[in-house]
Order: sequence, then C-alpha cells, then structure tokens
Amino acid sequence: MRRQLARIAVRHLGRHPWQLGLTVLGIALGVAVAVSIDLANESARRAFSLATVAVTGRATHQIVGGPSGLLDDFYRVLKVELGVRLAAPVLSGDVAAVDRPGRTFTVLGVDPFAEAPFRPYLSDESGGAGSSAPGAAAGERREPPPRDRLSTVAALVTRPGAVLVARPTAGELGLAVGDRLAVRAAGIRRELTVVGLLDPGDLASARALDGLLVTDIASAQEIFGAAGRLGRIDLIASDDAAGRALLERIARALPPGADLVTAGARAGTTAQMIRAFQWNLTALSLLALVVGMFLIYQTMTFSVVQRRPLIGALRALGVTRAEIFALVMTEAALIGAVGTAAGLALGLGLARGLLGLVTRTINDLYFVLSVRDVDLDPLALAKGVLLGVGATLAAALAPALEATGAPPRVVMSRGALETTMRRMVTRVTWLGLGLLAAGAGILALPGGIAGGFAGLFVLMVGSALVAPAAALGLLRLLQPAAAAAFGTLGRLATRGIVAAFSRTSVAIAALMIAMSAAIGVGIMIASFREAVVSWLEGTLRADIYVSAPSLVGNRPDATLEPALVARLAATPGVARAGTSRGVLVPGPGGPVQVVALDVDPARPPRWRFREGSADAVWAEGGEAAIVSEPYANRRGARVGDAVRLRTDRGERDFRVGGVFYDYGSSAGVVVMSRRTYDRSWDDRKISGVAIEASPGVDLGTLMAELRARAAGDQEIVVRSNRALREASLAIFDRTFAITGVLRTLTVAVAFIGMLAALMALQLERAREIAVLRTLGLTPRQVWGLVTAETGLMGLLAGLLAVPGGLMLAGILVFVINRRSFGWTMPIDPSPAILLQGVVLSVLAAVLAGLYPAWRMARALPADALRDE
Amino acid sequence: MSRTKRAAVGLAAALVSVGAIAAIALWPGGEGAAGRGGVQASLAVSAALGSGDLAGFARAMAPRPFSFPADHGPHAEFRTEWWYYTGNLETSAGRHFGFQLTFFRTALASPAAVAATRASAWSASQLYLAHFALTDTAGRRFHARSRLSRDALGLAGARAIPFHVWTEDWSAESEAASGLPVRLRAGEGDVAIDLVLASDKPAVLQGDRGLSRKGPEPGNASYYYSLSRMSARGTVRAGGESHPVSGLAWMDREWSTSALGPDLVGWDWLALQLDDGRDLMVYRLRRRDGAADAHSAGALIAGDGATGPLALGDVTLDALDHWTSPRSGVRYPSRWRLTIPGSALDLEITPRLADQELIVGPRYWEGAVRVEGTAAGRPIAGRGYVELVGYGE
Repeated sequence: MRRQLARIAVRHLGRHPWQLGLTVLGIALGVAVAVSIDLANESARRAFSLATVAVTGRATHQIVGGPSGLLDDFYRVLKVELGVRLAAPVLSGDVAAVDRPGRTFTVLGVDPFAEAPFRPYLSDESGGAGSSAPGAAAGERREPPPRDRLSTVAALVTRPGAVLVARPTAGELGLAVGDRLAVRAAGIRRELTVVGLLDPGDLASARALDGLLVTDIASAQEIFGAAGRLGRIDLIASDDAAGRALLERIARALPPGADLVTAGARAGTTAQMIRAFQWNLTALSLLALVVGMFLIYQTMTFSVVQRRPLIGALRALGVTRAEIFALVMTEAALIGAVGTAAGLALGLGLARGLLGLVTRTINDLYFVLSVRDVDLDPLALAKGVLLGVGATLAAALAPALEATGAPPRVVMSRGALETTMRRMVTRVTWLGLGLLAAGAGILALPGGIAGGFAGLFVLMVGSALVAPAAALGLLRLLQPAAAAAFGTLGRLATRGIVAAFSRTSVAIAALMIAMSAAIGVGIMIASFREAVVSWLEGTLRADIYVSAPSLVGNRPDATLEPALVARLAATPGVARAGTSRGVLVPGPGGPVQVVALDVDPARPPRWRFREGSADAVWAEGGEAAIVSEPYANRRGARVGDAVRLRTDRGERDFRVGGVFYDYGSSAGVVVMSRRTYDRSWDDRKISGVAIEASPGVDLGTLMAELRARAAGDQEIVVRSNRALREASLAIFDRTFAITGVLRTLTVAVAFIGMLAALMALQLERAREIAVLRTLGLTPRQVWGLVTAETGLMGLLAGLLAVPGGLMLAGILVFVINRRSFGWTMPIDPSPAILLQGVVLSVLAAVLAGLYPAWRMARALPADALRDE
Repeated sequence: MSRTKRAAVGLAAALVSVGAIAAIALWPGGEGAAGRGGVQASLAVSAALGSGDLAGFARAMAPRPFSFPADHGPHAEFRTEWWYYTGNLETSAGRHFGFQLTFFRTALASPAAVAATRASAWSASQLYLAHFALTDTAGRRFHARSRLSRDALGLAGARAIPFHVWTEDWSAESEAASGLPVRLRAGEGDVAIDLVLASDKPAVLQGDRGLSRKGPEPGNASYYYSLSRMSARGTVRAGGESHPVSGLAWMDREWSTSALGPDLVGWDWLALQLDDGRDLMVYRLRRRDGAADAHSAGALIAGDGATGPLALGDVTLDALDHWTSPRSGVRYPSRWRLTIPGSALDLEITPRLADQELIVGPRYWEGAVRVEGTAAGRPIAGRGYVELVGYGE
C-alpha cells in the first residue's frame, strides 16, 4: 500500500512538470540565496578570525599605546626591570604591493626571540622542518638555537626589510627565498627581501598566514617609519592569582596613554561590527526563502485540491488520514530535497560571486581582509539542507492537514472549498493582526539586532496574513473602476480573482512580501544615500583634500609626513590648509576613534546635530568634544556628559558639546579641535589636509602643483572636493551593491512564485475558459482576460506592498540600522520608489501571466470540454 | 477537527517553523580549526642563507695575551662566547643546592655584514641566551629556565668595565673595576639566586696559554680561561623560602668562531673542586664512533693556582651507571670513575640528583656532583659540576 501511495505521489508530480519545475526552481533559488550568503559570510568571518589568530597568537592581554603607539623603552622596562617573561613586542600594519595592483599584505613585525610562547609558528623551536638539515655544525651544541635554523632568523633580524612569507603565498606570487618585493606603506615605497618561507602545518594555518609578511620588529619600525614605537606588547598572563598580580604590577607601571586590555579586544570590536553587517545580509537572504515558502505552500495546496476526488476515493478504499498526510508530506519532501540539492549547487556558485561583494564591503568599512575562496563550511551546507527541506515541509504542513480532512468518497466542489476559504480569510486576518501587534511589541522592547530582526519577521508574516483580506477589500474598491475601464472583461477579471481566492490570495501575498522588501530596502538605501550626500556636503567644505593612501576605505590609518604637510601648505594658491588626524585611543569602554580637526573657526564643518552644537569645540580653551550619533547610541552619551579618554597625560574627561549625525564610522567618533588634542597627546602626526584655494586659482593647476611638491617623497592622494565626494558615494554604493543583489533575488523568487501560481490557476480554469470560448469569446479576448486578471493581481500586491514597504523601511532605518550600526537618518519615502514598486509588481505579474494566457487562448475549447 | 481549524493549525505550525528556520540560519558557524588550536607552521630553512658562514669572523688561531678586566667583557669579533657560572652551595644547616647561570652570546651576522646605520633601535647583530638551573638536592627538585634577547635597547648585552653581562632580568655584574667580586642574579617564579662570587685563585688559562684546540684543523679552537675556585655567598630562593647560603663556584669563559669538527658529536665536561684545595677540569670530546677524541684535555690546578695540563692519555673516565630521561628518553651516563694515575687520583663522581637535564631550547645535562675517592691513597672528597652534551642525537 505504502509503495502504491509513493507511486501516486511520484506520478502526480510527473504529470505537472511545469508546476514541479517552477516549485523546485523557487525552492532552489530561496535555498541558494540563503546558503550563498551564509557561505560568503562564513568565509569572510573565518578569514577574519584566522587573520586575527595569526597576529594575536596565544596572547591573553595586550598593552596598547595611544595615538603615537608605545615607546619601545617600555618593553625594556617590562623585561629587564619588571622581569615580565611572557611579553612580545608587535608592530603591524598593512602595505600594498607595488607591482601587483590591488594585492595587500599585513606586515607583522615581531621579535623572533620573544615569539615562541605567542606565535609558535614563528619561533625557532617549533620543531619540524629545520632539524632535517644534515648534521650542520653538529658539534656546536653548546650554543643553543641550532645554527641552520638560526641563520634564517639571523637574516630576518640583521637584514633590513627581510620578511618571511608562507610558502603557498610565495608560490602564488612567484617569490623565492632571496627575491625582492616592493611595497608601499602609507604611500612610501619600501623594498623587502624574502629570507625564509613558512610551511603551514594545515589548511587553516595556510589561510591564516596567507597575505602575511612576517618581519623583525626593527624592519617593521623602518617600514612604517615608526622608529622607537611599538604597536602593542602582547602578554600571556595565567588566569590565577599570580597572573592577576602580574597584570596588576604591569598596570601600575604603564606609561600615560597606554592601556592594558585583553587580547582580541580590538579584533572583538571589529568582529562585532562585521557581524552586525553580516546579520543584515543573512536576514535579507532569509526573505527570499520565506517568499519561496509561499511558493511551496501554494504548490502543495494546489496539488491537494486538484486531487480531492482521488484522495476521497483513497479514503473510501481504506487509506487512513495518517497515510494521506504522509503522502502529501512525502511529495513535499521529494520536492524539497530536489530543490535543496539544486539550491546548494546554485548557492555555491552564487557564493563565489557574493563573497567578492561581502569582502569588498568589509574592506571598505572595517578591516583589510583577503578572502579569495569560498570556504565549504559543512555547517553552512547542513544549515542549507535543513532550511530547504524544513521550509518545504513547514509550508506543506497546512495543505497536508487540509488533505486529511477530505471525507471518504465525497467529491467536494471547488466552490465549496472557496466558501471555506473565505471563512478562513477572516481567521487568518485576525491571526495576522495579532502577529502585527506582536511584532510591534517585539520591536518596542529593548533588544539587540536579533530582536530587531525577530520583530521584523513577525511583522512581515503578519502583513502577509493580513494581505488576503486587504486584497479583497481593495478588489471591491477597484471593481467599479475595472468594470468601467474594461467592461465585462474587467468584471470577469475581478470576479476570477475572487472566485479562485484560495490560489490567488497566496500568490498576491507572496508577491506583496517580495515587493514590500524591494520597496522597504529601496527606501532605506535611498534615505541613507540622501543622508550621506547631505552629510558629505556639510563635512567636505574645502576645495582639495590630501591624504596618504589608506587600505581601509574609511579609516585614516596612514599619516602624512609633517614636513610634507608644511610644504603643501606653503604652495602658492593655498589660502588655508586645515588638518585632520584620526586615531584610535584606548578608553575604559574599549578603543575610541578620535578625530582632531584644525579648522577655520569661521568655516567649521556644517554637520547636522541631533542635540547640542559644536560651538564649545571650536572656541578657545576648554576640553570639549562632540560625538557622532553612533557613538552616542552605543555608549549612551548625551550633551553635558563627559567622554573619558586615556591621553598621554593620563585619563582625561572631555565634555560632550553636541551629538552630530555621522555616517563615517559605525563605531562612532569623538571629534575635538586640534588644539584640544595637542594639549592631551604628544602626537604631531597628520592624517589628512583640507586645502582651500585662494580665489581665482585653478584647482586643476593647484592639484598638479601639490602633487609635484610631494613627488619622490611620499605617494599622496590629492582629490578635489567633488572627487572625494564621488569616491565616498562610490564606497557607499559598493557597500549596498550586495543588498541590491539580494533584493533582486527576492523579487526573482516572487516572480517564479507568481508564474507557478498563474500556471496552475489557468490550467485549472481550462474548462471555464472553454465555456467562455463557446460563448463567443475570441482567443484574443481570452488572452486579454487572463492578462487583466494577472495584472490586477500584480496591482493588488503592489498597492499592498506600499504600506508594507514603508513599514519595512521604517524598521530598517530606525530599528535595524540603529541597532546594527548606531546611526539613524531621516526617512525619505520617495514616490518614485513606491511607484516603481507598484509598476514592478504589475509587470512581474503580467510577465508571469504571459505564457499561461497564451496557452489558454490557444487551447481548443472542445478538448477542454471533452475532459468532462 | 474542522477543515479551517486544521488549516489554521497547519498555518501556525508553518509560522513556528519560519521562526525556527530563522534561528537556524542565524546560528553562528563553528570556529575554524585554527580558531581553536592556533596556527601551525614551521620555519623552512634554506641552505641558501649560508648556514655556518664563518666569513667575517675572527678565528682562534694562536695564543694571545689575556688582559683583565678587558677580557671579562665580550669579544664581538668572534661568533660565539659564553660566561658560565656553576657552583655548589649549602645553608648553615647543610642543605645543599647546585646552581648554573650561563650567558651565551651568539653573533647573528658578522660585524662586517651588519648594516651600518639603521633607523630602528631594535637593530642588532648579537643574540644573548641565558640558562639558569637550580638543583634543590634536599627537595629533590631540578629547576631550569631560560632567557633570550637581542643586544638592543638594553634588553641584553655585555661590557667589560664595569663588568656586566645580562639577558633581560638576569645578570652578572660587578661594581669593582677589576670585575671581581661579581654579583649573580637570576630567577623566575619561586626559584632564584642572588650571590656574590669572589675569586680565590688567579684566572687559569686553559690549553696552550689560553688557546684551547678542539681539533686538528687550525682555527677549530677557542680562547678559554677559568676562575676555578670562587667563594660564593648569598641567598637561594626555593620552595617558597629564602635560604642564606655559601659555597664554591666555578666560572668558565670561552669564545670562538668554530670549535668542533664535523666528526665530533658532543662532549663530557667535568669541573671538580677537591677539599685539599686542588681543582680539576677535564673534558672529553666524543667522536661519532663513541671514542674519545685526541684533542680531549684538562687541567689540574694546585691550591696556589699553578696549573698542570692534562692530555687524553693522562686521564681515564669510565661511566659506572646510566640514567634515562623520562622526558626526552635520552640515556646519559650518570656515575663515573675518574683516575689520573700521574697524580695518584682515583675519584668516584656521583650526581646530586639523577635528573639535572635541561630542556630549555637545546637539550643537555648539567648537574651538581659529589666527589669521593683517594688522593695518593688517602681519602678525599669534593664537589663539582658535570656537563653532558650531544647525547641522544
């Protein structure tokens, strides 16, 4: 019996290849989007974590310096005077290869002799490869590190610019021991020499070491022009009384401006930011899957309804409800399995494409990351399987339960079903309203990003459930208009939708969700962009901007030589040169990005303030600062509060004069005047120069002159106001490129859903159409009728998507963005986007209806009627 | 169950599933292997980098005049150098401790090969490695620690006047212009020494007026002198207590560029201080085939400092026992009979503890020993240190 049921399932699926194919495609797309985002995220995350492990090693704590780093004498104090054994100096930074455009490396400057406990892969005691050298200096055992291994380390220490590279990286770059590699650090060209290769012990290590240039701390200081300074000192402290006592002792000896933090605190902060960004992508990717679920629900409902007579007969033959339930679920599982398998394959391909976009954004915003291959994370794949099959089964639950309700031998008319359906609409609507209220409640509660997305999803599902009732209401309103416009055909079209509401409502709801997402995300991006444009306008007030090339899009980590800045400022035609300096400063609540501006008090940046103002900042004296909105949101700072920062004079409080809207850093920034900064820090470096040209000076000529003045010294980036603005917007657009892709994919799934629904519907209505044909409707009129119907469905979905999209945009802007990135922006519901959504919805529906309509119109009425 | 109810149940179930699906999708992924276990890699060694390149270094070719205190300081023109302090100490109650504090200097590059001026103060051409070991005989514990730093930023270094050699927080230092007495300080965790050493005898120039040949090839030799009898006084910290101690120490100073030929695998070195005021140093260079090399040598130092050299044939040294290290699995000789027929010495040498093996970087055995035997037929006792290098290779 069971085998026969299975055969029934298979045969039924086989008889409707179109239906089957579209459903499988829909599931596959949904799964593919979710899996690809997951894989891309996971690959980027693992690359990040590996990169962090490679440079953090086994350190438990770190001593970090202020803006100008740590004086390296403190390392001697630690080792010689305090007798701290497990301490290792580190100076790392990013460099760009000169001969390989776009290729970046992280230079990790360490003391190889202090490395063993921290990054054993760098030490000369890790065993393995080196000991194979045949009996080199066998007798010299009294001098400890074996001579052969030592010789590589010796070369690393004694040769300026000597680096170690992982063997796979060297192979890929065609580098061998002894080869030279030219790089640029903050625009200054440095020659490096490969003196040794690191053999990664496993695949994960190979990835961790990829793109890493290990060098001696002396060379690192020279590469980054930071003689006398360390980036940090790594420490290992045991987690016991002795370890705590050690940390205590170190903390007491810290120079002003330095801070003792747990290892990975910085990486942790960055990881958190990246995670927020990735959550957003994941949530968007799930939207496609949810839309896909509607498609499955629809297909399964359709197949159940179509076979009501058969199911009734089976029941009469003694097939139990449980078996019927199993039959439907088996069908769903089959579809789900095939769709998921296809989705995984598709997802892998898609992930390769998306990875570039994800990595690009991370590089633009957070961290120099080189990920070049998708990590086939088994967990992500397993999640994909669970999602695909799970979603299919979940969506099939309702139709399966519905099927078990078919009484034996009774053939229920579709009319009766539709009546039941309309009764059900009421209940579903109430359920939807309940969910809407629940979703609003979840959003009102204080919660993290997870809470935001939970609320968002509940609201989306709620609105999908309310959609059928709303569609009926709308239809009633549209009916007279349709009748007036298209006469009987118009009336027929509206009636057709209502008559087959069990099918049409689901299609409308699915399309509505997809279009809401499209509209919501579109409004969010547009509002965001608008906010960024006006922010850039307020921020960029000078004519020309000069900076050192930085490898992270929005992070000014490279500095300009002060002598060069003076030379640039003295260029004829320069009316005023204001400087900026961006630094990371240790603070009690983690590192804080501080921007010190030397601006003309008469022409300060024109930021928009949420509260307070910048007056106190530009005025003489006073320890005032303004904070960006993300900073205020993340740390709960308000006007009148104090921001406590660790300065080179010890901890100091800076009074918050205002909170301004800023989209430059999602970690938040504290802005102060250069004078205030100089009073607290001994850092004289400059990150960027803003130049105002004298009236009448040709900007192009002046820029050329500025470049000429820097030639041969340091490679600098000279950009006009407009070029910088365009570059900033280009980064913005790049950041949202992936969002746009996801939005398109979601609409694609909805389109397939629509196509599947219409195909099924039109095929089912063959007889009805045949009757209409015999009553004298021409094929052309049939085509018109069907197209009108589908267009109307698209219009309904599109109209309903307007409030849905606005709701979504509001949540994205005020809840998700605020919770993920800390910033908010005025929402800008441009009518163009709304209109675009509605038009797109109608177009999608009409397009989806083209083929079914063409088939209906071509069908011979006699054939359809003969089936009776 | 009515149809609508059924459908509603199904719908509710579907909604719950959507939640579950969202939860699955947002479930954080597993940490990568490297996230947990750390990055694994090894440094590939390239022969192209000229391992054992001796060019640019001075060689020990001929005897040279020694001049103190200048020669207590470093000789950077040679590749390798060490300051080697060992000693046996006792508390007033007779509790015995052995200590070893060694500073090794290794040139990372010949002075000529090092870039003249570099911007970074970290640039260095010398590397210092220090070993500190404490034998707590009563507590039956052996502690060994090490320090490694470059000669830069004051992290490590050596100078003659005033005498100071240090690696991080361990040092041998003298306030006197003569370089003596010298204060030794080293420690880590709950073991430490703080000792002042004064020399009871003049410096002994080993080998041929301080040129100690280790092989037939000219230049395979070191400059080598010893302070064979230094009275030591100070404190030892062990087992959570500070112990005032006194005793006898020995200092070996040696510098060279290339000492051992390729056919030698290691050596046994003994430095003994006898109760009759005589001191005895013997080293036996071991060949690959296990035999003692012809360049094995030693010295017998009389109470007044007069030194008589010993050649291979003057000494017999037989291992009476062996000890296998539980950590390295290496089998070391562990008790010896040493006879010097020419001086009527017949000594049995016993380690204070069997386990005095150092595994802090390179592996070797260096331990305090007790000496009993006869001198010209009369019983004699003593103390000393034995070093066993190159076993288990």
